[in-house]
Amino acid sequence: MISPIRITFALAGRLAPPSLRPWVAAAAREAEVISDGGRKLRFAVGCLCWAAREAAIARVRNSIEENTMPGLASGLTRRATGVACALAATGLGVVYMGSAGAPPGYPILNAAAAAFGLVGLAALGLAERRGHLAAGPFALALGLTILAVSLWGVEANGVRRWANLGGLVVQPSLVATPLMLALFTKARDGLSTLGLVIAAAAVAIQPDRGVAGPLAAALIALTVLRPGRRELTALAAAALAFAVTLIRPDASPAVPYVDGVLQTAFDAGWVAGTAVIAGSALLVVPAVLGRRTDPAATAFGVMWAGLLAAAALANHPTPLVGYGGSAVVGYLLSLIAFPGGAPAHARKGSAAPTQGGTPPDASALFAIRIRLGG
Amino acid sequence: MIRSRALSAPARRLLAALADSSGGWRHGYDLCREAGLKSGTLYPLLIRLEAQGHLEAEWRDAEEPGRPPRHVYRLTASGMRLAAANPVRDALAPERRPAERPA
Repeated sequence: MISPIRITFALAGRLAPPSLRPWVAAAAREAEVISDGGRKLRFAVGCLCWAAREAAIARVRNSIEENTMPGLASGLTRRATGVACALAATGLGVVYMGSAGAPPGYPILNAAAAAFGLVGLAALGLAERRGHLAAGPFALALGLTILAVSLWGVEANGVRRWANLGGLVVQPSLVATPLMLALFTKARDGLSTLGLVIAAAAVAIQPDRGVAGPLAAALIALTVLRPGRRELTALAAAALAFAVTLIRPDASPAVPYVDGVLQTAFDAGWVAGTAVIAGSALLVVPAVLGRRTDPAATAFGVMWAGLLAAAALANHPTPLVGYGGSAVVGYLLSLIAFPGGAPAHARKGSAAPTQGGTPPDASALFAIRIRLGG
Repeated sequence: MIRSRALSAPARRLLAALADSSGGWRHGYDLCREAGLKSGTLYPLLIRLEAQGHLEAEWRDAEEPGRPPRHVYRLTASGMRLAAANPVRDALAPERRPAERPA
């Protein structure tokens, strides 16, 4: 016979939004150690009321979003919205390059990068859904890769920030740094912190203030929203790296259709100029659509706004609308920061516990849920 | 979102209970009893503190063999600062005491 306590927690687990279910499981485990029957029941009923309250709030939020953002209410996830923005921005970049007389191979390469980025994002999403995305080790490997490029990569004008992949020259920091930031917001562990610290050191060595500055800005935003020792450590490293890049000379000349795009697009006509401005604005749309206190979305938005600002202020690549596949791939991969499996309203409430996530054995909760569910 | 200038009395009591353990891990039911909170109040507070980086949470094996793992909690450094900046108020501080009415 199933006890009333287990039934209560089974109901709570069924009612609670998915992000809260690990916490309901944690509460169910706590109830098991309460010896007094009355106290145990009050504890369980309190959790059931909390789950019901959160379910009601999620439903109201869902209803509000359906009425205010019909485009998203049709089931589009924020990650899918980000993909749409990336593809639209890349397409607008193709319009710009076509209007401005860029070599025909440039738009083709950007389109190929978008296809590559989509495949990469799909692979990351699949790994995440199956629980195989080892965010910490992956972030550390990416940091070491950027460091290797800083030490042994392709050098030009005293700057060493590129890698030659069989004739295709890419900028790994532009691919990996936004992704590492997204992984850090998910993992919040020592390895992902170390990865960011190494990446910060690498961009200081290169030097690349166009990446170091946005990374520091994004980590400031993240630390303000989610203060913690690891956030502060990564922020300190990024801020120090940015300071170093400001001191070190970076005399890279402007590359046509890559640098200075924002400043010169309207010289090629209003179509080119409008495409560049509209495409750039699209890059921060996925972050703007989120809750303002969502740390991952805010870090994403600040990072890409920072990369755009760097491109506007100096000779740094103009992401997505300019020629260059690294930013296209980097943007798409960094969309892993957003949930892809469920609409935003389904994740209402607080973040799922990052370190205390799924219980080692959730059978006590879910076995009953299966029975109740028939 | 919990803000340091507007923490509720339950949040302050929870922070005090967590801070009293001097960095040690605490269980949910123990916190309920020590802070005088109902479970439906405790867990939303824990979730918000964890989301803001003030709290660490993880699963730990039970000390008694054969018992299932339990979720444990402790304050981070920022959580300790938050607790220090938000001590428990008196149950009925003068500014919060209801105005007396004439009989």
